[in-house]
Amino acid sequence: MNLALTWRLLKGGGRRGMLGTWLTFGAVAVSTALLLFAVAANFAFEARADRGAWRNPVPASSGAAAVEKSRYDFVRDQVITVVDLAALGEETPAPPPGLPRFPRPGEAWLSPALAELARELPADQLAARYPRQAGVLGDEALVYPGELVAVVGHAPDAPELQAPPGDPIVGRTPVKVADLEGQASDDAEVYGALAVIAGVLMVVPLLVFGGAAARLTVARRDQRLAALRLVGATPGQVVTMTVAEAMLVALAGALAGTVAYTLAAPLLAGIEMQGGPWFTSDVFPHPLVMLAVLAGVPLVVGLSAVAGLRRVVVSPLGVAKRETPPGMRFVRVLVLLAVLAAYPVVTRGEGVGAGIIAAALALAFLGVNLVGPWVVGLIGRITARLARGPVRLLAGRRLVDDPRSAWRTVSGVALTGFVAGFVGLLSPAAFDEGPAGPPELRVVTPAGQVEQVAGQARERLREAGVTATVEADKSVVVAALGSSADVATVDRARTALAGIVPGHTPTTQDDDLRLSDQLFADIRVGTVVVLAVSFLVAVASSGITAMSSVLDRRQTYGLLRLAGTPLAVLDRARRAETLIPLTVMGGGAILVGVFCALPFISVGMSSAGAITLGVCVVAGFAGVIGAGALSRPLLRAVTADPAPRPD
Amino acid sequence: MNDVLVGRALVKRFGQTVALGGVDIAVRAGEAVAIMGPSGSGKSTLLHCLAGIMKPDAGEVHLLGQRIDTMGERKRSELRRTRFGFVFQFGQLLPELPAEENVALPLMLGGVPRSQAVRQAREWFGPLGLQTMETRRPGELSGGQAQRVAIARALVSKPAVVFADEPTGALDQRTGHDTMRLLVEATKHNGAGLIVVTHDPNVAGWCDRTVEVRDGLLAGGVRA
Repeated sequence: MNLALTWRLLKGGGRRGMLGTWLTFGAVAVSTALLLFAVAANFAFEARADRGAWRNPVPASSGAAAVEKSRYDFVRDQVITVVDLAALGEETPAPPPGLPRFPRPGEAWLSPALAELARELPADQLAARYPRQAGVLGDEALVYPGELVAVVGHAPDAPELQAPPGDPIVGRTPVKVADLEGQASDDAEVYGALAVIAGVLMVVPLLVFGGAAARLTVARRDQRLAALRLVGATPGQVVTMTVAEAMLVALAGALAGTVAYTLAAPLLAGIEMQGGPWFTSDVFPHPLVMLAVLAGVPLVVGLSAVAGLRRVVVSPLGVAKRETPPGMRFVRVLVLLAVLAAYPVVTRGEGVGAGIIAAALALAFLGVNLVGPWVVGLIGRITARLARGPVRLLAGRRLVDDPRSAWRTVSGVALTGFVAGFVGLLSPAAFDEGPAGPPELRVVTPAGQVEQVAGQARERLREAGVTATVEADKSVVVAALGSSADVATVDRARTALAGIVPGHTPTTQDDDLRLSDQLFADIRVGTVVVLAVSFLVAVASSGITAMSSVLDRRQTYGLLRLAGTPLAVLDRARRAETLIPLTVMGGGAILVGVFCALPFISVGMSSAGAITLGVCVVAGFAGVIGAGALSRPLLRAVTADPAPRPD
Repeated sequence: MNDVLVGRALVKRFGQTVALGGVDIAVRAGEAVAIMGPSGSGKSTLLHCLAGIMKPDAGEVHLLGQRIDTMGERKRSELRRTRFGFVFQFGQLLPELPAEENVALPLMLGGVPRSQAVRQAREWFGPLGLQTMETRRPGELSGGQAQRVAIARALVSKPAVVFADEPTGALDQRTGHDTMRLLVEATKHNGAGLIVVTHDPNVAGWCDRTVEVRDGLLAGGVRA
């Protein structure tokens, strides 16, 4: 019976009642889609780490079956991952993923993209490095589609698989392995940890937004349910009906969000990270995870709705009488201060895991959210006390009256300030080595062979038709290609010098920086993605709460208009109501975000970080003002009613 | 002839429904007029047309000799703020403002500095029996007290006409009686005209005369 009545009330809410329902639906749909994105991102990095694990060998404790060594090579300024493999003993080990069999000595298996490039470019620029191409690697061997990978087979005693004299950037020591399972590389773990932190930064505002969505148009629901209580509905019935209404709408919203995410997934897969885009399957969370989100979102919304109704359930007259709201407790501030005091201690220790950092970050984030309403109440009191005109007086009193609701309107953007402060400070500046000189290829050479290798290099380059000055410098042979050398010449020189010191890659200065630059570029992309998601949530949240606030207060607004209050005054008061707390709390959140980033940096803010932060501040204000402006026609419509009556 | 507000041949239609079918009405300074009639008779529409909330489809509305029904929304809005006062059944007080600021709001909207507006507002609390209620919020006032605050707010900007729409509809009989007495006395004391829309003969009894609206037309006569 309760469900039937809930459904009737939901359907019979009238045009404006339905608008409230649609707002909740929209908010939940946006939240769900973005939540799926945050969750999927973590799984996607995990999937990449798993697929790339075979290239990161684990030393065999006993019974080695193969020897494996991975290094990087370069073509056209792109990275090629080269894995040198040799079978030990009589029995051929199981092949790595993506290969039908273990590569024989001399064979090279190339990834589809590398094979295609080898066909496109002149042989002396790439294909000559892999003279015996045996086949193409399957997708299971690749971290991302389009990745350049070569698997090269060797004899166990091949010089490529002997320990090198130290070439830490582009080559690793050969490892004897029992199988080719491998383990996630350090890089993959760094990316995984960053993804967890990014997930926290995205999920916390989403949870706050989801909670706000559940309490949308709460005044209307409060009044209706208070009326039900007055006619004798039990608290249980009221709670059941509230939960049913909220969860019904939330389930529909969650389904819509899932569909939206599914449709957007191919686009999201195009975001480049670690050098390339994603397999579409990577950005789809496991069906069980999707189901968990589909079930979890309505549950959170239902719980939040119950929390919002506590007052009605406790006292049926509580809402109707609009008693003075209880003041916010100072303990909220103490909680944030305690979290901030503990934060540097917790995150600075040796060997602190990403999980602990993410948890500390989440606590600090939630602390800002906890302290938000208290600060809003405080600045409301100050604003009201200092107000000389009606606009600030109305805004200030409103902030004091319902700081939680005022905070909901700006919390999204203010919390984005936290994210911007955090990532803004962490945005690394790329290594600035000054203007690049003419290209030089360097090969690390075993002790005592430098002169001999230099002679061979001169010979090979001359045969390849590359003009170069080759010199021996301690344990490195340097081939200066001259300022007229283009990328094709560099690749021809690379190919000519390939294998000159077995297992070692000739590299330019840019190649040596390419891998660290990649990480920095990825952090920048990640920052943009996290900020974009935060802003989307924030602006959607701000717009939706502004609209629901107009709906909740339409009777008051209507009567004020009727008594001659200009629409502009109401609008300015509404704007002040959001911009004053936004300025204070946005600034505060940025500072807390910066504080939370401090343990992880050794130098000051980079210009990229400062620009990111500046853009965020401007975008935050513009977003909130824009979202508020969107609800102006609604304000005009509800105040145009000549005889506003309470529902 | 000291009519402050005159409505002539007022016609208002909502689609096919005729809410007002050509109504003439006038209110003198210091006079209280009750508009009575059953639900849907058009009495609230008449109030809205006279107060410049709605534009009539035909006819004229004059305030102190100036035609107001042809004014734009902005001018009518300003007029409502400066020359009219309103008392409704409930809900007209802003719940977040203390009583004195609710009363001071129309003055502040007219540009009076806050401290002066609040000072002027406080002067109304004594005569209306609201001593010590100045800093209470509407939720902390009884229904009768809230209506008296609304009366103070309607009169604080010294309006020419006060419009009251079922001002005692949410009050018990005794409180309603007191509220009407204060409304009529205070309005007369200020020399303003008072138009009260009601369906309650006891409320109408406080007014100088009653006009009855039925099906959009005046049906009643003048009562002494």
